[in-house]
Amino acid sequence: MRAATGTDRILGGVLLVLGVAVAGEATTFDVLFLTDPVGPKALPLAAAAILVGSGALLAIRPGLGGGWPRPGTLLRMAGAVATFSAYAALLAPLGFVLATTATVASLSILFGGPWKRSVVVAAALSVALWYLFVWLLGLPLPLGAVWGASWMR
Amino acid sequence: MGGVVDALTHLAGGFGIALQPLNLLLAFAGVFVGTFVGMLPGIGPINAIAILIPITFATGLSPASALILMAGIYYGSQYGNSISTILLNVPGTASAVVTALDGHAMTRAGRGGPALAMAAIASFAGGTVSIFFLVFFAPLLAEWAIRFGPAEYFALMVFAFAALSSLAGGSLVKGLAATALGLLLATVGLDPNSAIPRYTFGQIKLLDGMDFVVVTIGLFAVSEVLQLLEETERGQAVTRGFGRVMVTLRELLTSLGAMVRGSVLGFLVGVLPGAGGTIASFLAYSTEQRVSDRTGTFGKGDIRGVAAPEAANNAAANGAMIPLLTLGVPGSGTTAVLLGALLGLGVTPGPLLITEEPDLFWGLAASMYVGNVFLLLLNLPLVGLFVRALTLPRWFLLPGVAALSFVAVYAVNQSPFDLVLMTGFGVAGYFLRRTGVPLAPIILGLVLGPLMEKSLRRAMSLSGGEWEILFSSPIAVTLWLLAAASLVGPPLLARRIRTRAAASTPTRTPPG
Repeated sequence: MRAATGTDRILGGVLLVLGVAVAGEATTFDVLFLTDPVGPKALPLAAAAILVGSGALLAIRPGLGGGWPRPGTLLRMAGAVATFSAYAALLAPLGFVLATTATVASLSILFGGPWKRSVVVAAALSVALWYLFVWLLGLPLPLGAVWGASWMR
Repeated sequence: MGGVVDALTHLAGGFGIALQPLNLLLAFAGVFVGTFVGMLPGIGPINAIAILIPITFATGLSPASALILMAGIYYGSQYGNSISTILLNVPGTASAVVTALDGHAMTRAGRGGPALAMAAIASFAGGTVSIFFLVFFAPLLAEWAIRFGPAEYFALMVFAFAALSSLAGGSLVKGLAATALGLLLATVGLDPNSAIPRYTFGQIKLLDGMDFVVVTIGLFAVSEVLQLLEETERGQAVTRGFGRVMVTLRELLTSLGAMVRGSVLGFLVGVLPGAGGTIASFLAYSTEQRVSDRTGTFGKGDIRGVAAPEAANNAAANGAMIPLLTLGVPGSGTTAVLLGALLGLGVTPGPLLITEEPDLFWGLAASMYVGNVFLLLLNLPLVGLFVRALTLPRWFLLPGVAALSFVAVYAVNQSPFDLVLMTGFGVAGYFLRRTGVPLAPIILGLVLGPLMEKSLRRAMSLSGGEWEILFSSPIAVTLWLLAAASLVGPPLLARRIRTRAAASTPTRTPPG
């Protein structure tokens, strides 16, 4: 990792923009009659002020940061984020066991696991978690719309 | 005064609750699972608690039993952190950094076993000493805290934020930015006073606000998984021979002073908001070095260098429970997560908790102690098992932790939308970590934000809009001064800690 001032400048810029956007949105919090002397705008505006102030400071006087990961690593991270997002989308239609198996197996492979064993471990884990939560702890996990019938019970 | 006698009577009643078979079982399960998850490289205590707590909710246990399970997880995860610190030199929290100095040196010398045993014994000593302090101080502080009005609460929270921002590690500017981000997240949803939506962008699912479990798991656990993807190639090399997990009588006796000093120091520092555990373990270590390092063995595998910070760390963890339980104001990321959990269980910590729900309060105090005993009795024989688990490859362990996180997040609202939010917070958390922004103040801001805003608005309503009310009582003025002092003073101290710690410890940034 290369040390650079770039990360602090980027962070400062992001905080600055976020602070301004937050403050802008806060000005739309209009109430018909004032319920209290402070109102709903005060805390968001105070937080926005801190964000703008700290963002500006970081952008002007950055410290040394750690730099960014290599492209190959970034790609694997993007893969992990895609896997997480896919899980959110697939959980209801595919059901807990299948969606979790697919996600855990993909993550294992991203972590360098051999793919066959990754799938087996992921499937075993998903079924174990299903029985632990649904049967033992009574937490309703989605069964999966595509299956229609409740064959798992 | 009868207060202490009352406290002891209630504590006895608390033990009656904690020693019920189901609760004993829960304490054991909590300690065991907590140790396991807290031990995983990079996961650490705050992740362990954040992941396991929603699962606690899902079980439908009574509040008292759920608290006992949580206390077990809290302690177990701290000890698990010590295991990976001592054996692998991977401290999961900043507070464990000094334990690595002598602990890992002992491992390299083939004496990891005694180091692990000493960590457990010292943690137990810290827990024992601090439980006495808790019994005496908590009722006193609660009596005093009843006089807190909204203005005093507001000032207290400003103090907590100021202290954590400057102590959480990294720069003060980044700490303050993190606090602001947390406060901002706290405002998402319907404003309770005026009933207008804030920052919901028309999303009905955001009207209830951000759930702290979703935010915590996203920021800490998911971002950790992303961070660990950078390091997959490096396997975990656990030193094979580490000796028996036991200390000799002589080692125990020479470490006695270190444990007592560490415990008292740790507790006193732990009561203050901010990075209690970190400052406590550092102070305990440097004090011990000054007091008893006559031959220059500290840093080269001196067992007292493990005993002092471990006792202090655990005592500080108990000390931090005092402001959390009596004032309802946590001073660290981990206690903020605990506060979120308590609120989720329908328990509102504050000065009235001791008098109105003595069963709960003293049951928790007792179960904290039972958790400590379990740590000592069960972890010593089981350490071999935990160590073997540490040698499992990452592709096997980490996706499993991720799956548990998914279940935890899904359990909150049974909504896939929360999983999307979690992923978003994971990416944000990774970016923040990369740029050196501490994550703990975000959680504190999120959990305390609503309370802070409510206090401010109530105070201002009482005074009819006069700002002077915020500075009108001696308590409030003292708290404002403390807040100012914690913004100015600790960065100097923290700089000393960083230079000392950087001299001989790993470079990985701990997540809390």
